[in-house]
Amino acid sequence: MLNHLKRVIYLEKCPRGRFMSVKRKYPIDRDEAKSLPVFDYGTSKKSYKRVFVWGNLMSGALGIPYLRRNENVMHRETVDIPKRLGFAEKFPVTTAACGFGFTAFGVDTESEDKLYGTGLNTDSQIGRHEVRQGHPLEIIYFPQAIKLPLKNPTKTRIRKLAAGRAHLVVLTDEGLFLLGNNAYGQCGREIIQDENYFLSNYINHIPDIDSKKVTDIECGQDHTLAVTDDGAVYSCGWGADGQTGLGTFDNTSAFTRITGEIESEKIVKISSRSDFALALNDRGEVFGWGNAEYDQIPTINNEQQVSNPVHLKHLKVGKVVDVAAGGSFCLALNEHGEVFVWGYGLVLGGPKAEQTSRPRKLPEVLFGRNDFQPNNRVVQVACGLSYAMAVTSLGDVYAWGRNMRGCLGLGFANDQNFPFKVALGGYASKVFCGYDHTVALCKPFI
Amino acid sequence: MLIKDAPVIWEGLRSIICVYKPPSVTCERVRKTIIAAVCKGLNEMECRPPVDFVCIEGNPSGKLTVSVKPSLADDPLVVGPRYIHDDLKCSWSNFLGFNTSGVLLLGLGKGTKVAKLIRENRPTRCYRLSGKLGEATDNAFKDGKVVERTTWRHVKLENMNRFLATLQASHQKEMFKSCGIDLQSEEAYKLACQGPIRPANSKLPVIYGIKCVKFEPPEFVIEIQCINEYETYLRSLIHEIGMKLHSSAHCTAIQCIRHSYFTVENALLRKHWTLQDIITNMEQCIQIMDEHENIIRQKSAALQ
Repeated sequence: MLNHLKRVIYLEKCPRGRFMSVKRKYPIDRDEAKSLPVFDYGTSKKSYKRVFVWGNLMSGALGIPYLRRNENVMHRETVDIPKRLGFAEKFPVTTAACGFGFTAFGVDTESEDKLYGTGLNTDSQIGRHEVRQGHPLEIIYFPQAIKLPLKNPTKTRIRKLAAGRAHLVVLTDEGLFLLGNNAYGQCGREIIQDENYFLSNYINHIPDIDSKKVTDIECGQDHTLAVTDDGAVYSCGWGADGQTGLGTFDNTSAFTRITGEIESEKIVKISSRSDFALALNDRGEVFGWGNAEYDQIPTINNEQQVSNPVHLKHLKVGKVVDVAAGGSFCLALNEHGEVFVWGYGLVLGGPKAEQTSRPRKLPEVLFGRNDFQPNNRVVQVACGLSYAMAVTSLGDVYAWGRNMRGCLGLGFANDQNFPFKVALGGYASKVFCGYDHTVALCKPFI
Repeated sequence: MLIKDAPVIWEGLRSIICVYKPPSVTCERVRKTIIAAVCKGLNEMECRPPVDFVCIEGNPSGKLTVSVKPSLADDPLVVGPRYIHDDLKCSWSNFLGFNTSGVLLLGLGKGTKVAKLIRENRPTRCYRLSGKLGEATDNAFKDGKVVERTTWRHVKLENMNRFLATLQASHQKEMFKSCGIDLQSEEAYKLACQGPIRPANSKLPVIYGIKCVKFEPPEFVIEIQCINEYETYLRSLIHEIGMKLHSSAHCTAIQCIRHSYFTVENALLRKHWTLQDIITNMEQCIQIMDEHENIIRQKSAALQ
């Protein structure tokens, strides 16, 4: 009875005269809300991009300081969920490249420093950084500016970056700059026997190839590929498995035009992460060369090395818009957003998948297309040495493959044999995969 | 109603009914109201007559007369009405919070078993959440105390849609982690190829579909398909959406518009909570359950 009375009294106090979901000690003063200040959080700048990194922390490639076990109790060797990079909050990062244990970032600033690098620096692949004379740093844990010998350092923009095992290629408005290891001629200059790359700081500048402008670059493990504006492909570097595509198995120390079946084609995209390369022409046809021991190219007499580009006629997957070549597998994305894989490895989908040269379609359901979001489709594929990533039109990233030191970013250490979504705090626009770490460029939510 | 016998109706109460729960009322109150309405209706019908009382009268040494007449001890005027509230079992298959309105499934009599089966099957539910940008309250609902005011004019429909899509994709991945299957196995791969699946756990809320159906800033309405949700979760979802869009928001209404195959059209309004309508509604619900067998029996973890 008393409770009932209390309730009646309470209701009379209540300004709106209705039941409340929360019992309050003091009634709410509605007018008080009007005196509160109005906060304005605004929207982000158009050029602002969030950069997320994950994978191996020890190499310094993530740009996050790594503390040794005896220095910190909260010691970690891997970052298995995407972590926001503080560096990108200061500088507008436009592009990036992941090598084997190092990362390079291209930024768009007014200053002279346009290129930053972090991670392993055993071959000066991210420039020479010394704290005292004659003793360069072997590992860098925070992105440091790399000085390029540019003619117009403030105006020149960085177009694309590519990184191999221990060399870095920078495509700028002024041409190519190649840094790092040149043991196989991958920097496009003459091989010097017993050259000490760690102490040298030689940056090779190639303004143009055959007086043609370079439009796209790609690095394999120890070779470099370049596409010029007329669609021709040039290569240099390690050729032991035919990955240079020049018809020989020798190393090449200067950019040489690849002939074979792509000679008369206009190539728009090339992809190579290890010793196999894929090229895509403007009509959506795929060509391949290099080490084909995992059935990436079906050869007549089971040749394991293909040193001349071959048209992959057996694919029959429609018009291809994006390709990615990993260590033992290949990915192709057609115009309908369907992803096809062939080769060997975990990336093929399912634990029972076997080595195949026939493209295997990964169901679109795995990339988040279902009744609830029917228009979601894959727009970009990328791959590391033994794992793959796909970016969808909604800005989601799906990862699968070998989870080397948490490079999938899924929050667990096990391998993943079908695409699984990576939790990112933004809309991914591009993903860069290295050997055991990954970088994603994202747009903020608003 | 052609049947006038109350016991026949009582025996027929062996399924679920679908009622429309008004806001600002607890589920328990709805349940009690329904029970009261059913009992009232039953008591007004032709109930069981009082049991016979065998009366032996007369002088024991003389002649005794045996007569049978209705027992006064079993008369409704003495023992009370035939059907009392405690006799009728009634339980809900989805709990709706105090501020939530919409479809509520109640199992009546032996139908409580059906309600339990539906609950354990975890069918998807569809909600319409109304929110308002610009003000954040301490309980993320409109009756809370305003704790922050922000600008909201920079929030556009495409910002909202894009963020909701990301949220949805993240949840669909989360459902896989909570389905209790080894991700390395072949079964996991086969299940993943079938599309969305239901979680094994009944604790973790999973959102399958979420989209903005009305956007008239500062007001907006989002429609959401989910499993394992609860009212506080839905309110905090609106709060989070506001925060992620560089503004703030609170919830103004929560309406459950669908529960598995039962929609608002099937739901019984408050003015129709009488025995006659409840029985008619129960027949409709049985018909829906016959059409869709998977409401009660599920064969696969895939979402249907």
